[in-house]
Amino acid sequence: MKTPCSPKKNASLWLWPLGIVVGNIVTVLVFVGVEFLLGRFGSSSLNSPSAIPSFLLVPVCGGVAASFCWRKLNPSYLQIAFATFIMMILAIGGSMLAFGEGIICLIIAMPFFFVSQLTGALLGRVWFRMPPGPAQWCLLPVLAITATGEPITRTDRQGVVVDEIRIAAPPHKVWPELTSFPDIQTAPEYWLFRMGLPYPMSTTSGGDHVGADRQCIFSDNMIFEEKVVSCVPGRDLTFDITKLPQHPELIGHITPSRGQFLLRDNGDGTTTLVGSTWYALHVRPLWYFDWWTRKIFRAVHLRVMNDIRDRAERG
Amino acid sequence: MNVVFRFVVHQLRWLVHIPFFPHFFDSMLLTWAAVTRPSRLAAMTSLEKATKGEVRLAVHRFGGVEFRTDGGQQLGHVHGHGLLDVHVSRARARKLMAAGRVCPHHIFPNSGWVSFQLETPCDVPFALVLLKLAQERIDGRFPCARITGQY
Repeated sequence: MKTPCSPKKNASLWLWPLGIVVGNIVTVLVFVGVEFLLGRFGSSSLNSPSAIPSFLLVPVCGGVAASFCWRKLNPSYLQIAFATFIMMILAIGGSMLAFGEGIICLIIAMPFFFVSQLTGALLGRVWFRMPPGPAQWCLLPVLAITATGEPITRTDRQGVVVDEIRIAAPPHKVWPELTSFPDIQTAPEYWLFRMGLPYPMSTTSGGDHVGADRQCIFSDNMIFEEKVVSCVPGRDLTFDITKLPQHPELIGHITPSRGQFLLRDNGDGTTTLVGSTWYALHVRPLWYFDWWTRKIFRAVHLRVMNDIRDRAERG
Repeated sequence: MNVVFRFVVHQLRWLVHIPFFPHFFDSMLLTWAAVTRPSRLAAMTSLEKATKGEVRLAVHRFGGVEFRTDGGQQLGHVHGHGLLDVHVSRARARKLMAAGRVCPHHIFPNSGWVSFQLETPCDVPFALVLLKLAQERIDGRFPCARITGQY
């Protein structure tokens, strides 16, 4: 009977780093392969850097590949979890260096990436227990094909985040504060802003008319170019976002397309300010990243709208 | 976790026909257990180690690790969230359920199948007893001397 300290087992310890490296290489290969196929054969809506392969399926492939390398170690579930954690840290670090991904995006993606890689690794642990046969060799190709095919089945989905606040001032006093405003002096409250995610600082406006250019300036020198498409003083300011900043936290992940402020006179000297942002999200799974996107847009809205309220109420 | 498992097993049973889906689902249960209840994974590892060399381990067709006799007959299987399903005789199943140690099987409640939730490594000895009873059902003999010695 083999003991945990038997020479054969010690000699196989190199399989741990091998599995970690192989797992991450497979993850990158599937990721790049899907990007390449989408770039060459994808539909027009996906034929852009925005069509990012699924963060569920691609890391699963890496986890399965790692587990294949670890199978002779007969690892426990918790050993697999620890090794996968190391694998995820290396993958995240590699993404920053090789692909220039933003740290905030990686913080957001990290938990899901880990869970996906771990799912693949645990699947492999059970699966590769069987004697080698066709079923074993099918698993990784089937997963890789599924990961490749998944983006082709996507449809563009526009989301909208709507927030409203009540301001103790009539609409004619709120309106001038909407169209342009100086630097927001308050420190950001949202934890991702404090960690480095760009947050709104000020807005400039070319005028209160349709076709006027606007600039929404975020921290980290991020500037969104905008054009007014609807302007009803005291009621409605709608603008299309015409140019996005080239920022690693934004490129390819999300495309905000339109913003809107609506003012509702409450008839008692107060105003309800409704802020909306329309966006398309390009990272999957949607339910996970959309939840984050809504949280972030909500924080952006509230930072701007609270500042508008403060200035309007000050008079 | 049990709620999700029961919902999928009862309401989305057709998913078993999708190749690899049951195994993928089971690995998601394992992942969830790794994140939320690592003691269950420790228990499952202990159970596998305790039966090593005595019973054969295989992949269960609906996901999970299966315990088999040398002849290839199934004694039971453990799902990713630590639910051990064991096939004992009907009479044994009734006695075990009456004692409150096990639950009716999630698919076949009135059969010889019983379910036992592994929570910590302390549950492993009783899990081994259940596997022993499953072996008795098959041929009246259990090959694991360590287990028969203890009970």
